[in-house]
Amino acid sequence: MRRARIHFAGREQWGAVEGEGDAQCVRLADGQCIASKDAHWLAPVTPGATIFALGLNYGEHRAELGFAKASTAPLVFLKGHATLAGHQSTTPYPSDAHQMHPECELVAVIGKPARGVQREQALGHVAAYTIANDYAVREYLENYYRPNTRVKNRDGATPLGPWLVDAADIDDPQDLRLQTRVNGEIVQDGATADMILSVADLICYLSGFMTLIPGDMILTGTPAGVKFVAPGDEVVCEIERIGRLCNRLEAPR
Amino acid sequence: MISGTAYGVVLNDRDQLAALGPALSEAPYGAPPDWPVVYIKPRTCFSFGGAPVLLPSDCDHLSVASTVGILLGRDAANVRRENAPAYIGAMCVALDVCTARDDYYRPAIAQSCRDGFLPLGALAAASALPDEIVTRIDGAIAHRWALSRLVRPVERLIADMSSYMTLRAGDLLLIGLPGDAPRAFAGQDIEISAGDLPALRTRIAAPT
Repeated sequence: MRRARIHFAGREQWGAVEGEGDAQCVRLADGQCIASKDAHWLAPVTPGATIFALGLNYGEHRAELGFAKASTAPLVFLKGHATLAGHQSTTPYPSDAHQMHPECELVAVIGKPARGVQREQALGHVAAYTIANDYAVREYLENYYRPNTRVKNRDGATPLGPWLVDAADIDDPQDLRLQTRVNGEIVQDGATADMILSVADLICYLSGFMTLIPGDMILTGTPAGVKFVAPGDEVVCEIERIGRLCNRLEAPR
Repeated sequence: MISGTAYGVVLNDRDQLAALGPALSEAPYGAPPDWPVVYIKPRTCFSFGGAPVLLPSDCDHLSVASTVGILLGRDAANVRRENAPAYIGAMCVALDVCTARDDYYRPAIAQSCRDGFLPLGALAAASALPDEIVTRIDGAIAHRWALSRLVRPVERLIADMSSYMTLRAGDLLLIGLPGDAPRAFAGQDIEISAGDLPALRTRIAAPT
Protein backbone atom coordinates (compact mmCIF):
# COMPACT_ATOMS: atom_id res chain seq x y z
CA MET A 1 0.00 0.00 0.00
CA ARG A 2 1.04 3.58 -0.68
CA ARG A 3 0.05 6.22 1.88
CA ALA A 4 0.14 9.93 1.14
CA ARG A 5 -0.39 13.07 3.18
CA ILE A 6 -2.17 15.82 1.29
CA HIS A 7 -3.76 19.16 2.00
CA PHE A 8 -7.46 18.98 1.21
CA ALA A 9 -10.58 20.83 2.40
CA GLY A 10 -8.49 23.11 4.56
CA ARG A 11 -6.65 20.44 6.51
CA GLU A 12 -3.97 17.80 6.35
CA GLN A 13 -5.25 14.32 5.58
CA TRP A 14 -3.64 10.93 5.01
CA GLY A 15 -5.00 8.71 2.27
CA ALA A 16 -4.23 5.57 0.28
CA VAL A 17 -2.91 6.05 -3.25
CA GLU A 18 -4.88 4.01 -5.79
CA GLY A 19 -4.33 3.37 -9.48
CA GLU A 20 -1.79 4.74 -11.92
CA GLY A 21 -1.42 7.53 -14.44
CA ASP A 22 -4.41 9.79 -15.13
CA ALA A 23 -6.67 7.49 -13.09
CA GLN A 24 -4.54 7.70 -9.97
CA CYS A 25 -6.16 9.19 -6.86
CA VAL A 26 -5.70 9.50 -3.10
CA ARG A 27 -8.49 7.74 -1.16
CA LEU A 28 -9.28 9.71 1.99
CA ALA A 29 -10.76 8.29 5.21
CA ASP A 30 -14.26 9.46 4.26
CA GLY A 31 -14.14 7.47 1.01
CA GLN A 32 -13.71 10.23 -1.54
CA CYS A 33 -10.73 9.86 -3.89
CA ILE A 34 -8.78 13.00 -4.84
CA ALA A 35 -7.20 12.86 -8.31
CA SER A 36 -3.40 12.86 -7.99
CA LYS A 37 -3.14 15.61 -10.61
CA ASP A 38 -5.21 17.88 -8.33
CA ALA A 39 -3.63 16.84 -5.03
CA HIS A 40 -1.61 19.26 -2.91
CA TRP A 41 1.10 16.92 -1.67
CA LEU A 42 2.74 17.30 1.73
CA ALA A 43 5.83 15.53 3.00
CA PRO A 44 4.58 12.19 4.40
CA VAL A 45 5.97 12.81 7.86
CA THR A 46 4.46 12.58 11.34
CA PRO A 47 4.77 15.42 13.88
CA GLY A 48 7.93 15.40 15.96
CA ALA A 49 9.64 12.64 13.97
CA THR A 50 13.41 12.65 14.15
CA ILE A 51 14.88 13.04 10.67
CA PHE A 52 18.29 11.35 10.34
CA ALA A 53 20.42 11.83 7.25
CA LEU A 54 23.59 10.10 6.12
CA GLY A 55 26.56 11.72 4.47
CA LEU A 56 29.10 9.87 2.35
CA ASN A 57 27.27 6.52 2.42
CA TYR A 58 28.09 5.55 -1.19
CA GLY A 59 31.70 4.82 -2.15
CA GLU A 60 31.68 6.53 -5.56
CA HIS A 61 30.08 9.66 -4.08
CA ARG A 62 32.74 9.74 -1.33
CA ALA A 63 35.41 9.53 -4.02
CA GLU A 64 33.99 12.36 -6.16
CA LEU A 65 33.96 14.62 -3.07
CA GLY A 66 37.58 13.78 -2.31
CA PHE A 67 37.11 11.42 0.65
CA ALA A 68 38.60 7.97 1.07
CA LYS A 69 36.25 5.26 -0.18
CA ALA A 70 36.27 3.45 3.15
CA SER A 71 34.26 4.89 5.99
CA THR A 72 35.50 5.46 9.52
CA ALA A 73 32.43 6.28 11.63
CA PRO A 74 29.05 6.82 9.96
CA LEU A 75 28.46 10.50 9.18
CA VAL A 76 24.99 11.16 10.57
CA PHE A 77 23.27 14.53 10.82
CA LEU A 78 19.77 15.60 11.78
CA LYS A 79 17.17 17.80 10.12
CA GLY A 80 14.30 19.88 11.40
CA HIS A 81 10.84 19.87 9.84
CA ALA A 82 10.85 23.31 8.20
CA THR A 83 13.28 21.98 5.60
CA LEU A 84 10.80 19.33 4.43
CA ALA A 85 8.56 19.83 1.41
CA GLY A 86 6.18 17.60 -0.52
CA HIS A 87 5.98 16.17 -4.03
CA GLN A 88 5.66 18.90 -6.69
CA SER A 89 7.02 21.51 -4.30
CA THR A 90 9.17 24.47 -5.18
CA THR A 91 12.47 25.00 -3.38
CA PRO A 92 13.93 28.49 -2.96
CA TYR A 93 17.24 28.88 -4.78
CA PRO A 94 19.47 31.12 -2.62
CA SER A 95 20.25 34.43 -4.31
CA ASP A 96 24.02 34.11 -3.85
CA ALA A 97 24.38 30.37 -4.53
CA HIS A 98 26.17 28.76 -7.48
CA GLN A 99 26.80 25.25 -6.15
CA MET A 100 23.41 23.82 -5.22
CA HIS A 101 22.85 20.19 -6.17
CA PRO A 102 20.16 17.54 -5.68
CA GLU A 103 20.74 14.25 -3.87
CA CYS A 104 18.33 11.36 -4.42
CA GLU A 105 18.03 9.17 -1.33
CA LEU A 106 16.11 6.12 -0.14
CA VAL A 107 14.27 6.91 3.11
CA ALA A 108 13.41 4.25 5.68
CA VAL A 109 10.52 5.03 8.04
CA ILE A 110 10.57 3.39 11.47
CA GLY A 111 7.43 1.38 12.36
CA LYS A 112 8.12 0.10 15.86
CA PRO A 113 10.47 1.27 18.61
CA ALA A 114 14.05 0.17 18.12
CA ARG A 115 16.70 0.04 20.87
CA GLY A 116 19.70 -2.25 20.72
CA VAL A 117 18.41 -3.98 17.61
CA GLN A 118 20.54 -6.65 15.95
CA ARG A 119 21.26 -6.29 12.26
CA GLU A 120 19.32 -9.47 11.45
CA GLN A 121 16.12 -8.12 13.07
CA ALA A 122 16.53 -4.49 11.97
CA LEU A 123 14.31 -4.51 8.87
CA GLY A 124 11.42 -5.71 11.03
CA HIS A 125 11.42 -2.21 12.55
CA VAL A 126 10.82 -0.51 9.18
CA ALA A 127 7.22 0.42 8.37
CA ALA A 128 7.73 2.00 4.96
CA TYR A 129 10.06 3.55 2.42
CA THR A 130 9.98 6.81 0.52
CA ILE A 131 12.25 9.17 -1.45
CA ALA A 132 14.07 12.32 -0.41
CA ASN A 133 15.87 14.94 -2.45
CA ASP A 134 18.43 16.16 0.07
CA TYR A 135 19.60 19.36 -1.65
CA ALA A 136 22.98 20.77 -0.61
CA VAL A 137 24.47 24.20 -1.22
CA ARG A 138 28.18 23.51 -1.24
CA GLU A 139 29.55 27.05 -0.93
CA TYR A 140 27.87 27.32 2.47
CA LEU A 141 29.91 24.43 3.90
CA GLU A 142 31.79 25.20 7.08
CA ASN A 143 33.97 22.72 8.96
CA TYR A 144 31.78 22.80 12.07
CA TYR A 145 29.18 20.07 12.52
CA ARG A 146 29.66 19.58 8.81
CA PRO A 147 27.39 19.38 6.84
CA ASN A 148 26.11 22.43 8.68
CA THR A 149 22.47 23.53 8.75
CA ARG A 150 23.06 26.41 6.33
CA VAL A 151 23.91 23.72 3.75
CA LYS A 152 21.37 21.05 4.70
CA ASN A 153 18.50 22.51 6.72
CA ARG A 154 17.28 25.38 4.57
CA ASP A 155 13.54 26.02 4.33
CA GLY A 156 11.86 23.76 1.79
CA ALA A 157 15.17 22.29 0.63
CA THR A 158 14.41 18.64 1.46
CA PRO A 159 11.54 17.45 -0.75
CA LEU A 160 10.18 14.13 0.53
CA GLY A 161 7.61 11.76 -0.94
CA PRO A 162 5.48 11.49 -2.98
CA TRP A 163 4.15 8.83 -0.55
CA LEU A 164 5.14 6.06 1.81
CA VAL A 165 5.33 2.56 0.35
CA ASP A 166 4.73 -0.21 2.90
CA ALA A 167 7.87 -2.17 3.71
CA ALA A 168 5.97 -5.37 2.89
CA ASP A 169 5.86 -4.22 -0.74
CA ILE A 170 9.65 -3.81 -1.01
CA ASP A 171 11.36 -7.21 -1.16
CA ASP A 172 14.89 -5.90 -0.65
CA PRO A 173 15.71 -2.24 0.10
CA GLN A 174 19.30 -2.91 -1.01
CA ASP A 175 18.21 -3.85 -4.52
CA LEU A 176 16.66 -0.62 -5.82
CA ARG A 177 17.80 1.66 -8.63
CA LEU A 178 17.89 5.42 -7.92
CA GLN A 179 17.94 8.09 -10.62
CA THR A 180 17.89 11.86 -10.63
CA ARG A 181 16.92 13.84 -13.72
CA VAL A 182 17.44 17.57 -14.10
CA ASN A 183 15.27 18.94 -16.94
CA GLY A 184 15.11 15.37 -18.25
CA GLU A 185 18.87 14.72 -18.21
CA ILE A 186 20.02 11.84 -15.99
CA VAL A 187 22.55 13.20 -13.46
CA GLN A 188 22.50 10.43 -10.86
CA ASP A 189 22.07 6.73 -11.65
CA GLY A 190 22.88 4.49 -8.74
CA ALA A 191 21.82 1.40 -6.84
CA THR A 192 21.06 0.98 -3.15
CA ALA A 193 23.25 -2.14 -3.37
CA ASP A 194 26.20 0.30 -3.28
CA MET A 195 25.34 1.79 0.10
CA ILE A 196 28.27 1.40 2.52
CA LEU A 197 25.94 0.95 5.48
CA SER A 198 22.66 -0.73 4.56
CA VAL A 199 19.27 0.20 6.01
CA ALA A 200 19.68 -2.68 8.48
CA ASP A 201 23.22 -1.53 9.41
CA LEU A 202 21.96 2.00 10.06
CA ILE A 203 19.11 0.88 12.33
CA CYS A 204 21.53 -1.37 14.19
CA TYR A 205 24.04 1.51 14.56
CA LEU A 206 21.56 4.22 15.63
CA SER A 207 19.57 1.96 17.95
CA GLY A 208 22.85 1.02 19.58
CA PHE A 209 22.93 4.34 21.43
CA MET A 210 19.37 5.72 21.26
CA THR A 211 15.76 4.68 20.78
CA LEU A 212 14.19 5.01 17.34
CA ILE A 213 10.49 5.87 17.51
CA PRO A 214 7.74 5.08 14.97
CA GLY A 215 7.65 7.82 12.37
CA ASP A 216 11.39 8.54 12.59
CA MET A 217 12.99 8.71 9.17
CA ILE A 218 16.46 7.75 7.97
CA LEU A 219 17.70 9.38 4.75
CA THR A 220 20.29 6.84 3.72
CA GLY A 221 22.69 8.89 1.60
CA THR A 222 23.14 9.52 -2.09
CA PRO A 223 25.09 7.92 -4.95
CA ALA A 224 27.60 9.74 -7.18
CA GLY A 225 26.61 12.54 -9.52
CA VAL A 226 27.03 16.12 -8.33
CA LYS A 227 25.16 18.32 -10.81
CA PHE A 228 24.75 22.00 -10.02
CA VAL A 229 21.24 23.26 -10.69
CA ALA A 230 19.77 26.67 -11.48
CA PRO A 231 16.54 28.53 -10.79
CA GLY A 232 13.70 27.15 -12.90
CA ASP A 233 15.19 23.66 -13.18
CA GLU A 234 12.84 20.69 -12.84
CA VAL A 235 14.36 17.96 -10.66
CA VAL A 236 12.93 14.44 -10.50
CA CYS A 237 14.24 11.83 -8.06
CA GLU A 238 13.05 8.32 -8.86
CA ILE A 239 13.48 5.07 -6.99
CA GLU A 240 12.10 1.93 -8.53
CA ARG A 241 9.05 0.40 -6.81
CA ILE A 242 8.57 3.62 -4.82
CA GLY A 243 7.85 6.43 -7.25
CA ARG A 244 9.03 9.73 -8.68
CA LEU A 245 9.50 12.81 -6.48
CA CYS A 246 9.22 16.02 -8.52
CA ASN A 247 10.47 19.45 -7.49
CA ARG A 248 11.25 22.77 -9.10
CA LEU A 249 13.82 25.39 -8.14
CA GLU A 250 12.37 28.80 -7.63
CA ALA A 251 14.28 31.96 -8.46
CA PRO A 252 15.10 34.18 -5.49
CA ARG A 253 12.66 37.04 -4.99
CA MET B 1 4.87 22.69 24.93
CA ILE B 2 7.69 21.72 22.66
CA SER B 3 5.97 20.40 19.56
CA GLY B 4 8.78 20.88 17.08
CA THR B 5 12.54 20.59 16.81
CA ALA B 6 15.05 21.34 19.57
CA TYR B 7 17.92 23.33 18.05
CA GLY B 8 21.03 24.36 19.94
CA VAL B 9 24.29 26.13 19.19
CA VAL B 10 27.86 25.40 20.26
CA LEU B 11 30.89 27.70 20.11
CA ASN B 12 28.68 30.62 21.15
CA ASP B 13 30.80 31.21 24.28
CA ARG B 14 33.33 34.02 23.98
CA ASP B 15 35.58 32.52 26.68
CA GLN B 16 35.61 29.16 24.91
CA LEU B 17 36.51 30.72 21.56
CA ALA B 18 39.35 32.63 23.25
CA ALA B 19 40.61 29.44 24.91
CA LEU B 20 40.49 27.48 21.65
CA GLY B 21 42.24 30.36 19.89
CA PRO B 22 44.49 29.25 17.03
CA ALA B 23 43.16 25.67 17.13
CA LEU B 24 40.08 26.87 15.24
CA SER B 25 42.29 27.98 12.36
CA GLU B 26 43.99 24.60 12.10
CA ALA B 27 42.84 21.32 10.55
CA PRO B 28 40.15 20.18 10.32
CA TYR B 29 38.48 23.56 10.90
CA GLY B 30 40.64 25.89 8.79
CA ALA B 31 39.00 29.04 10.11
CA PRO B 32 36.77 30.09 13.02
CA PRO B 33 33.04 29.66 12.29
CA ASP B 34 31.26 32.46 10.44
CA TRP B 35 27.74 31.26 11.17
CA PRO B 36 26.03 29.79 14.23
CA VAL B 37 27.16 26.19 14.77
CA VAL B 38 23.80 24.49 15.07
CA TYR B 39 22.89 21.04 16.38
CA ILE B 40 19.59 19.24 16.94
CA LYS B 41 18.50 17.23 19.96
CA PRO B 42 15.92 14.57 18.95
CA ARG B 43 12.67 14.18 20.88
CA THR B 44 14.00 11.11 22.65
CA CYS B 45 16.42 13.42 24.50
CA PHE B 46 13.66 15.44 26.15
CA SER B 47 13.22 14.72 29.84
CA PHE B 48 10.85 16.48 32.21
CA GLY B 49 10.06 16.49 35.88
CA GLY B 50 13.50 15.63 37.18
CA ALA B 51 13.82 12.13 35.73
CA PRO B 52 17.40 10.92 36.18
CA VAL B 53 19.96 10.89 33.36
CA LEU B 54 21.18 7.36 32.76
CA LEU B 55 24.97 7.09 32.54
CA PRO B 56 25.65 4.91 29.49
CA SER B 57 27.52 1.71 30.31
CA ASP B 58 30.39 2.74 28.02
CA CYS B 59 30.99 6.03 29.91
CA ASP B 60 32.68 6.95 33.15
CA HIS B 61 31.21 10.47 33.36
CA LEU B 62 29.07 12.94 31.42
CA SER B 63 29.56 16.54 30.38
CA VAL B 64 26.65 18.57 31.78
CA ALA B 65 26.29 21.97 30.11
CA SER B 66 23.74 24.41 31.50
CA THR B 67 21.81 26.65 29.16
CA VAL B 68 18.49 28.37 28.60
CA GLY B 69 15.91 27.09 26.14
CA ILE B 70 13.75 29.55 24.24
CA LEU B 71 10.36 28.23 23.12
CA LEU B 72 9.37 29.94 19.89
CA GLY B 73 5.92 31.49 20.17
CA ARG B 74 5.61 32.38 16.48
CA ASP B 75 7.28 31.19 13.30
CA ALA B 76 10.49 33.18 12.95
CA ALA B 77 11.71 33.68 9.36
CA ASN B 78 13.99 36.52 8.32
CA VAL B 79 13.50 38.19 11.67
CA ARG B 80 15.41 41.38 12.39
CA ARG B 81 17.39 41.55 15.60
CA GLU B 82 15.28 44.31 17.09
CA ASN B 83 12.07 42.35 16.48
CA ALA B 84 13.36 39.03 17.86
CA PRO B 85 11.94 39.38 21.40
CA ALA B 86 8.40 39.18 20.00
CA TYR B 87 9.10 35.63 18.84
CA ILE B 88 10.07 34.34 22.28
CA GLY B 89 7.04 32.49 23.68
CA ALA B 90 8.49 31.09 26.89
CA MET B 91 11.80 29.98 28.34
CA CYS B 92 13.24 27.32 30.63
CA VAL B 93 16.56 26.20 32.01
CA ALA B 94 18.02 23.18 30.25
CA LEU B 95 20.86 20.76 30.77
CA ASP B 96 22.59 19.67 27.59
CA VAL B 97 24.19 16.32 28.33
CA CYS B 98 26.91 14.82 26.16
CA THR B 99 29.39 11.96 26.57
CA ALA B 100 32.28 14.07 25.21
CA ARG B 101 32.74 17.46 23.59
CA ASP B 102 36.18 17.30 22.04
CA ASP B 103 35.31 17.53 18.36
CA TYR B 104 33.23 20.06 16.45
CA TYR B 105 34.01 18.85 12.93
CA ARG B 106 31.22 16.30 12.57
CA PRO B 107 27.77 16.39 14.20
CA ALA B 108 28.11 14.73 17.62
CA ILE B 109 25.11 12.43 17.21
CA ALA B 110 26.39 9.38 19.12
CA GLN B 111 27.72 11.63 21.89
CA SER B 112 24.78 14.00 22.28
CA CYS B 113 21.59 12.26 21.14
CA ARG B 114 21.19 9.53 23.72
CA ASP B 115 17.83 9.01 25.40
CA GLY B 116 17.14 11.54 28.16
CA PHE B 117 20.15 13.74 27.36
CA LEU B 118 18.15 16.99 27.50
CA PRO B 119 16.54 17.49 30.91
CA LEU B 120 14.34 20.58 30.81
CA GLY B 121 13.01 22.80 33.57
CA ALA B 122 9.44 24.02 33.68
CA LEU B 123 8.58 26.62 31.05
CA ALA B 124 8.06 30.12 32.35
CA ALA B 125 6.62 33.25 30.80
CA ALA B 126 9.04 35.09 28.60
CA SER B 127 10.84 37.78 30.53
CA ALA B 128 14.32 39.19 30.49
CA LEU B 129 16.98 36.49 30.16
CA PRO B 130 18.78 35.66 33.40
CA ASP B 131 22.22 37.19 33.90
CA GLU B 132 23.88 33.90 34.74
CA ILE B 133 23.27 30.17 35.07
CA VAL B 134 24.49 28.26 38.13
CA THR B 135 25.13 24.51 38.29
CA ARG B 136 25.25 22.80 41.66
CA ILE B 137 26.50 19.25 41.94
CA ASP B 138 25.66 17.50 45.23
CA GLY B 139 24.74 20.90 46.64
CA ALA B 140 28.03 22.69 45.91
CA ILE B 141 28.46 25.24 43.14
CA ALA B 142 30.32 23.41 40.38
CA HIS B 143 29.95 25.96 37.58
CA ARG B 144 28.52 29.35 36.85
CA TRP B 145 28.53 31.34 33.68
CA ALA B 146 27.32 34.79 32.75
CA LEU B 147 25.23 35.07 29.59
CA SER B 148 27.27 38.15 28.72
CA ARG B 149 29.73 35.51 27.44
CA LEU B 150 27.44 34.72 24.48
CA VAL B 151 29.07 35.65 21.15
CA ARG B 152 25.61 35.94 19.63
CA PRO B 153 23.03 37.08 22.16
CA VAL B 154 19.55 35.59 21.70
CA GLU B 155 18.25 38.37 19.45
CA ARG B 156 21.18 38.04 17.06
CA LEU B 157 20.99 34.24 17.17
CA ILE B 158 17.32 34.31 16.13
CA ALA B 159 18.10 36.85 13.40
CA ASP B 160 21.07 34.90 11.99
CA MET B 161 19.43 31.45 12.09
CA SER B 162 16.08 32.65 10.78
CA SER B 163 17.81 34.17 7.74
CA TYR B 164 18.04 30.68 6.21
CA MET B 165 15.77 28.40 8.27
CA THR B 166 12.44 29.11 9.90
CA LEU B 167 12.36 28.61 13.64
CA ARG B 168 8.79 27.40 14.04
CA ALA B 169 6.36 28.05 16.85
CA GLY B 170 6.88 25.10 19.19
CA ASP B 171 10.59 24.71 18.33
CA LEU B 172 13.07 25.05 21.18
CA LEU B 173 16.29 27.03 20.80
CA LEU B 174 19.14 26.33 23.24
CA ILE B 175 21.09 29.57 23.26
CA GLY B 176 24.64 28.35 23.83
CA LEU B 177 26.79 26.06 25.97
CA PRO B 178 29.69 26.98 28.27
CA GLY B 179 33.03 25.70 26.99
CA ASP B 180 34.03 24.83 30.54
CA ALA B 181 30.97 22.68 31.36
CA PRO B 182 31.57 20.43 34.39
CA ARG B 183 31.64 16.67 34.49
CA ALA B 184 29.15 14.64 36.47
CA PHE B 185 29.41 11.08 37.73
CA ALA B 186 26.95 8.33 38.64
CA GLY B 187 25.01 9.07 41.79
CA GLN B 188 25.48 12.84 41.69
CA ASP B 189 22.59 15.26 42.09
CA ILE B 190 22.52 18.23 39.75
CA GLU B 191 20.62 21.48 40.11
CA ILE B 192 20.51 24.23 37.50
CA SER B 193 19.22 27.67 38.47
CA ALA B 194 19.06 30.86 36.47
CA GLY B 195 17.46 34.05 37.76
CA ASP B 196 13.72 33.73 38.22
CA LEU B 197 13.33 30.67 36.00
CA PRO B 198 12.10 27.48 37.71
CA ALA B 199 15.14 25.45 38.75
CA LEU B 200 15.91 22.06 37.19
CA ARG B 201 16.93 19.14 39.38
CA THR B 202 18.11 15.81 38.10
CA ARG B 203 20.50 13.02 38.98
CA ILE B 204 23.03 10.88 37.16
CA ALA B 205 21.92 7.27 37.53
CA ALA B 206 24.34 4.36 37.25
CA PRO B 207 23.71 1.89 34.47
CA THR B 208 21.55 -0.99 35.59
